[in-house]
Amino acid sequence: MSTELLHGTYKEGFHDDLKAVRKVPKGLSHEVVDYMSDVKNEPDWMRQFRHRSLDLFKKQELPAWLPGLRDEINFDEITYYVSPVEKSARRWEDVPEDIRRTYDKLGIAKEEQKLLGGLGAQIDSEMAYHNIQESLAKKGVIFLSCDDGMKEFPEIFKEHFAKAIPPEDNKFAALNSAFWSGGSFVYIPKGVKCDIPLSVYFRINAEQFGQFERTLIICDDDSFCHYVEGCSAPVYTTHSLHAAVVEIFVKERARCRYTTIQNWSTDVYNLVTKRAFAYKGAVMEWVDGNLGSKRTVKYPSVYMVGEGAHGEILSLASADKNMWQDAGAKLVFHAPNCTGRINSKSISGHGGRASYRGLVQMNPAAKDCRVQVNCDALILDPQSRTDTYPTMEVDGDLATVEHEASVSNVSEEQIFYLMSRGIKKEDAVSMIVNGFIEPIVKELPMEFAVEINRLINLQMEGSVG
Amino acid sequence: MTTGFTQQTLENITSGEPVWLRQQRQAAWQTFEKLPLPTKRDVEWQRFDLKALKLDKISVEPSVTEKLGGATKDGVIFCDMATAATKHGDLVKEYLGKLIAPDEPRKFAALHAAFWKTGTFVYVPRNVQVATPLEILYEFNGRNTAGFPHTLVVVEPGAEATLVQKFVGGPQPSNNGAIGLHASGTEVFVKDGGHLHYISYQNFGANVFDFTLKRARVGRDAEIDWVIGQFGASFQRYDIECEMDGEGGMSYMYGVCFAEHNQQFGQFTKQHHKTGNTVSDLLFKNVLRDSAVTNYAGMIKVEKNANGTNAYQANRNLVLSEKVKCDTKPILEIESNQLRCTHGATVGRLEDQHMFYLRSRGLREEQAREVLIEAFLDPVLARIQVENVRQEFSTLIHNKVVRK
Repeated sequence: MSTELLHGTYKEGFHDDLKAVRKVPKGLSHEVVDYMSDVKNEPDWMRQFRHRSLDLFKKQELPAWLPGLRDEINFDEITYYVSPVEKSARRWEDVPEDIRRTYDKLGIAKEEQKLLGGLGAQIDSEMAYHNIQESLAKKGVIFLSCDDGMKEFPEIFKEHFAKAIPPEDNKFAALNSAFWSGGSFVYIPKGVKCDIPLSVYFRINAEQFGQFERTLIICDDDSFCHYVEGCSAPVYTTHSLHAAVVEIFVKERARCRYTTIQNWSTDVYNLVTKRAFAYKGAVMEWVDGNLGSKRTVKYPSVYMVGEGAHGEILSLASADKNMWQDAGAKLVFHAPNCTGRINSKSISGHGGRASYRGLVQMNPAAKDCRVQVNCDALILDPQSRTDTYPTMEVDGDLATVEHEASVSNVSEEQIFYLMSRGIKKEDAVSMIVNGFIEPIVKELPMEFAVEINRLINLQMEGSVG
Repeated sequence: MTTGFTQQTLENITSGEPVWLRQQRQAAWQTFEKLPLPTKRDVEWQRFDLKALKLDKISVEPSVTEKLGGATKDGVIFCDMATAATKHGDLVKEYLGKLIAPDEPRKFAALHAAFWKTGTFVYVPRNVQVATPLEILYEFNGRNTAGFPHTLVVVEPGAEATLVQKFVGGPQPSNNGAIGLHASGTEVFVKDGGHLHYISYQNFGANVFDFTLKRARVGRDAEIDWVIGQFGASFQRYDIECEMDGEGGMSYMYGVCFAEHNQQFGQFTKQHHKTGNTVSDLLFKNVLRDSAVTNYAGMIKVEKNANGTNAYQANRNLVLSEKVKCDTKPILEIESNQLRCTHGATVGRLEDQHMFYLRSRGLREEQAREVLIEAFLDPVLARIQVENVRQEFSTLIHNKVVRK
């Protein structure tokens, strides 16, 4: 498939001429940090935190196992704060008209809210819209932009902010900590089951821009919440950077599911840190779909810190032309009787590269823990590449760890069988690939599942000759 | 006794050797000089503690003696490296250092390539089948000494042989804190249609630090089956690699490791499929007890257009104490699309059900454990085709299990 055709099928590849209300000069500096803190009217501790994080960013090295990034990203060419909106609106009508038009084109309209418990829409650095259904708000569910969360609920915010992912954690967590803007703040009170998903859509519109949203989710005891995020960006000839930080605290016996459909254009470096703490009896599930971006580096992780916690990560990566999906998962066990499961499926085609990188760590307290890891990779043509880099570290004799991975192609026999049943070759391949990813796709909300199937079929086009 | 590895000591022990060999050693020495000592910050080394390995305490005069056993006939060469270098200089020159290059950036492999002294040359001419196993016994002697034996094996097209390689000796903890530095290298060429059965184990003294690098190039329709055993030493880093260089080539790699007390073992395996329609299989089984550490990292690498590759890799670990540390890292790097590659890794303890079954048959708890540990390692031992060597493996394991 030609580049042209590929971009033609990336229907989110358009960009709109949005007037920036606020924009800083390109490059990273303490002045930009001060400017952001000023316009956001932040408390002093946050300003200090940002400055400290920027210093940490400058000090930290990129890990050696991430080849190429250092040469590919020029941090001085990136603009760290662009806001096309004055403030986050709570009524769709209050969102500036040109931005509403952008979201209409993406198919995210007010109507969608009917299916969702809450909807957030971020464009470049700021949340343009953030609202929650009345019924949920009445139960005490908080769903705000992260900036508003800090101002309206300072205590609970400060208690959790940067506690799962401190800026020292890695270079991109430090970068996010210095320039974070937007993202969601979610609090589900004790015992509240938030049955309908909360959804946020992230859009990059500006060129050579860095989006650093920050999400903090707290599911209090016995609660439930499903958070869904999607994203897209225009196709430019330059590169943008998306370095998000997502921190989740799943308190005792609560359950949280976080679903991502990442569909950035192939201009975007997607370097994201996602981590959840699962307390006693809690369940944390990451459903992570990576279909776009130039390079994704993302390993959603669950730290089991309370007895009987369960962590589950379903990861789906599709690496097409000009993409490198370096996706994976981490499960870290710090408490007894916990269980974990990682199920990863990747497809690489048209010269794309899909890598699974994972960590399972059993610490001495992980008595009677069990974990199972499965990674399957499908490689469609000789130009493509697939890697598996799992690490398992076990201290002591109290845990059971199992890992399995396989790499295969769509076999001639499978195609032959379907063709002998009168199915066209292309349809046969598409059917086999869809069957391969089915276990993960079926976990997605309906609209996303349909979208994934559509995208995969597009990527599959012309892959068998 | 001279201590310290320097340019001067290298020249002293290699004077009188042919120019090409001294140049090779020089190149290796420069590689060694250039590279830093591994530290815990390197991912491959983070689980290992090498503080007790003091290079400046080590005497540089090599102190390994070798014993060769097994009949040779029909032009088979089976002799020590010094003899080979004089009598079969051209052959040695053709193969030595071709699989383990002197400028390869591995600190201790470079030290070995610069300072190796003892060693064995095995050459099996075209279409010759050697029925009786060829046995090499390397014995490491002395206190605070170094040993660098090098083994070079060439199996010509259509030939077949069995090679048994044993490493023993070296200081024990009772020797006043004396240590031993051992670094061995083995280069194996199995040419088109050739077949090598290769069995190797080490049972060093408990104060030995060993660095092993074995590499084989497997030609068209050629086959190598390896069984290796790791039993002794304080620390051992074992690199074992096969390069699938011709269609129809096969490599079967099996390993057992019994780690106890404070033993540290690193196992780095590589199944490198350069050519398609090749098969590689691997099974490494480790038992960990007391405060032992094992770190398995295995790579299956499939180059572009190596279609028809079939590769499998399994690492199974049995952990018997809460103080052990067991890491496993099976890696796949795949650049072809017509293939099948799988790997599996597990870490687990003895199954309660299995224990219960054996107890219900009247075995004491200790007996039941012994049976299960030995049964766990048995699939690897079953691959050893030389009966008396299998017995040796079995005895070594049994003695460890019952702490004899």
